[in-house]
Amino acid sequence: MLVLGSRFDAYNQAQLAVVLILFIGVLSVTILTGISGQLSLGQGALMAVGGYSTALLIINHKLSLWVAIPLSIISAGIAGLLLGVAAARLSGPYLAGTTLVIALAIPTLANRFMSIFKGDEGLPVDVGYPPAWFSNIFGEPSYEKWQIYVALPFAALALFFASNILLSRSGRMWRAIRDNELAASLNGVNYSRQKIYVFIVSASFAGLSGALYGLRGLVGPSVYPVSLSLTLLTAAVLGGIRSISGAFIGTVIVVYLPDWIEKVLGNFELSEQVSNFLPSLISSLLLILTVVINPAGVAGTRLHKHK
Amino acid sequence: MNTFLAALFSGTSRGAIFALVALGLVIVWRGAGIVNFAQMGQAMFSTYIASTLITNGSNYWVGFFVALFAGAAMGALLDILVMRPLSNKKKTELLSSESMRAAVPVIASLGILGALQALAGILWAAEERGFPAPAKQEGLSVGGNVMPFTSFDIFVISVVALTLIITTLFFKKTSVGLAMRATALNQEVAKLSGIRTNRTRTLSWAISGAASSLAGLLITPTSNLSPNTLDLVLIVGFTAAVVGGLDSPAGAVLGGFILGMVISFVTFYDTPEDVFLSILAVLLLVLIIRPRGILGSKDVRRV
Amino acid sequence: MLKIENLVTKFGSVVALDGVSFSAQESKITTVIGANGAGKSTLLRTISGLERASQGDITWQGDSIIGKRPEDIVRMGIAHVPEGHAVISELSVEENISMGSLFRRRKFKSDVQVAIDEAYQLFPRLLERRKQLAGTLSGGERQMLAISRALVSRPQLLLLDEPSLGLAPLVVEQIIDSVNTLCRTTGLTVLLVEQNANTALGVADHGVLLALGKVVADRPAAELKADANLRAAYLGY
Repeated sequence: MLVLGSRFDAYNQAQLAVVLILFIGVLSVTILTGISGQLSLGQGALMAVGGYSTALLIINHKLSLWVAIPLSIISAGIAGLLLGVAAARLSGPYLAGTTLVIALAIPTLANRFMSIFKGDEGLPVDVGYPPAWFSNIFGEPSYEKWQIYVALPFAALALFFASNILLSRSGRMWRAIRDNELAASLNGVNYSRQKIYVFIVSASFAGLSGALYGLRGLVGPSVYPVSLSLTLLTAAVLGGIRSISGAFIGTVIVVYLPDWIEKVLGNFELSEQVSNFLPSLISSLLLILTVVINPAGVAGTRLHKHK
Repeated sequence: MNTFLAALFSGTSRGAIFALVALGLVIVWRGAGIVNFAQMGQAMFSTYIASTLITNGSNYWVGFFVALFAGAAMGALLDILVMRPLSNKKKTELLSSESMRAAVPVIASLGILGALQALAGILWAAEERGFPAPAKQEGLSVGGNVMPFTSFDIFVISVVALTLIITTLFFKKTSVGLAMRATALNQEVAKLSGIRTNRTRTLSWAISGAASSLAGLLITPTSNLSPNTLDLVLIVGFTAAVVGGLDSPAGAVLGGFILGMVISFVTFYDTPEDVFLSILAVLLLVLIIRPRGILGSKDVRRV
Repeated sequence: MLKIENLVTKFGSVVALDGVSFSAQESKITTVIGANGAGKSTLLRTISGLERASQGDITWQGDSIIGKRPEDIVRMGIAHVPEGHAVISELSVEENISMGSLFRRRKFKSDVQVAIDEAYQLFPRLLERRKQLAGTLSGGERQMLAISRALVSRPQLLLLDEPSLGLAPLVVEQIIDSVNTLCRTTGLTVLLVEQNANTALGVADHGVLLALGKVVADRPAAELKADANLRAAYLGY
């Protein structure tokens, strides 16, 4: 990954960082929806919770990002707990609709409490500069490259935790709940409580992702629009909603799609109107096609081991 | 006192529109077992079509009826191209899980919403544009006094009332209406009675599409038209349907008016910024206290 | 005539019908009997198109109906009264009956009301209650309603699934008598699935005994009724 990063120019380095960052966010969807079967449209809002926590901790309390980020994970986890308590009794469209309403309601807090959250303007915050000891060993990296360096350990950590969870007893329990709630509860699984746990875990991932996402330069409503939740969901579904590799494949697709489209259609003279919206049109169409033709996604087609 | 009346009337006219949106959601829920999150995307799209026709010189009413027709056509296409293939899918491993089976149509409808918004952006750019109303939007003057409601409000309320009456008569008194109700209540018995349930379901989608287009046409004059304006309306419509009972058309209307009043009074007496939060509060309240909705039946939660 | 040939219906890996073959003569009552789980309901559901057969063929008056949709099979003159939830509780009696004749409204407009009147004649209790919601009816009335719904589609073949289920013997007798009369007067072919073999064999012309998805006996009803060994082995009495 690092070697790859060195070969890229600044733009692609930034993209790579985004892939790593959003991968963590997509993992939150994989865990919540792919593994425990709960469809939530509020992951973007949870990312915002992580982002705002980090920004406020860094700006108002002068904490280092290495301290702020773990604290933000906790705050996102708490938000996930609240969300889970509200939503654990719901399923299907009720769950999706309620999380959508929550996802739309939370960002309005930014405008409601302007003094703290600075409304639409947002809170500027960034990854800063590497510590001296780092530059002495590795040389001074560019801003974009430093983003990758910051994101990488967290992404690796997320990957580690996600795989462990999937293979653990909890993972099996959650899959049982997904497949047949009634049967699982008859087997002694307290599925309400487990569903809340999944929300907490998934929210923590989302919060981490949101924190890193905001650290690229700005934390504000424009950074965490409602469509962000949909983007994460699209990535998870396209890549394969049930697996970690699916999450990664999906993230790569979603992040690089605009670039690929530009490369393919660059020769055609496209108006700004079209080029602005073409990537989202194509990803929406891909989502529909995936769901109708091959719901298991790219990774799902070859998946036999993990369930 | 005037504020109260203004809030009341605004609540009624807004409520009427939300009732329409909720009704559209209920019709598809009963007819096809799906909550159509793309509904207001369809409405937005057909309103854009009407807008284009009108700015190019057509009469308001031409645009109006073309939009209704477009909404119905879009609904039918959605069912035929996406929803029917979806429900015909063989049970793969992924789809053997009951929560995934419920989630998949929701994801599909979200994809359709995204596609419609992106397509609207491509065709018409994302600038907000105004949309005409066939009636004046200032306070109505009656006998020299300015009333706290506009003639547009009256227009909205009349149109919605008329639509509700027509819809009720349609469902209760016609053969097609009976076929649709039968299909919604018990698909198996309907099939055994010779009812072509696929066609009936597509008709539910078409009617719902027309209803939501109507809602879009009625609400855009007071806001503005852009690919994302109607997102809020979907949320309110969904909440209204849940409040009233997702399988009850009467509940949808009731829910619509309740939400209309809540939003209106929050806007007039509190601040517009609290609107989303108040919607959320109402939704959570209903889900905690009476999850089936006010007029919903006991097994409305079949997923 | 209804002809079933080597019919196989599976649910996943469970084989519900394992190569069933028999014929039902026109204008006669053929009863399918057997213990619980023998596959009787699955047989009717496969004929009416609600379940998909994986092998075999079903022909009705020379035309193969296998693989057709239920709504098309109804139009070919086959009406199925499933067991249990055969009426829609939230609709009125009138609406339930009307449902069965909707598809005939275009071609046979004048006959629709005639058929409905005939159903009310057969079951006068329904006429009294025609504005009530079906959910408020007694079990017997609901069964009558379900049969009426099937009859107004003017079938030539009636598939009746366990009409006696949960009903008092007197009511069962009434219903079976009505069906019997219908068959004898109008020439309706009836395929009657029954748990209560005694009652069924009392009124049927022919009997088919199913066990674990296979046909074990296929004989005139009187013979089956008289065969004590068979009854003891498969029907428990």
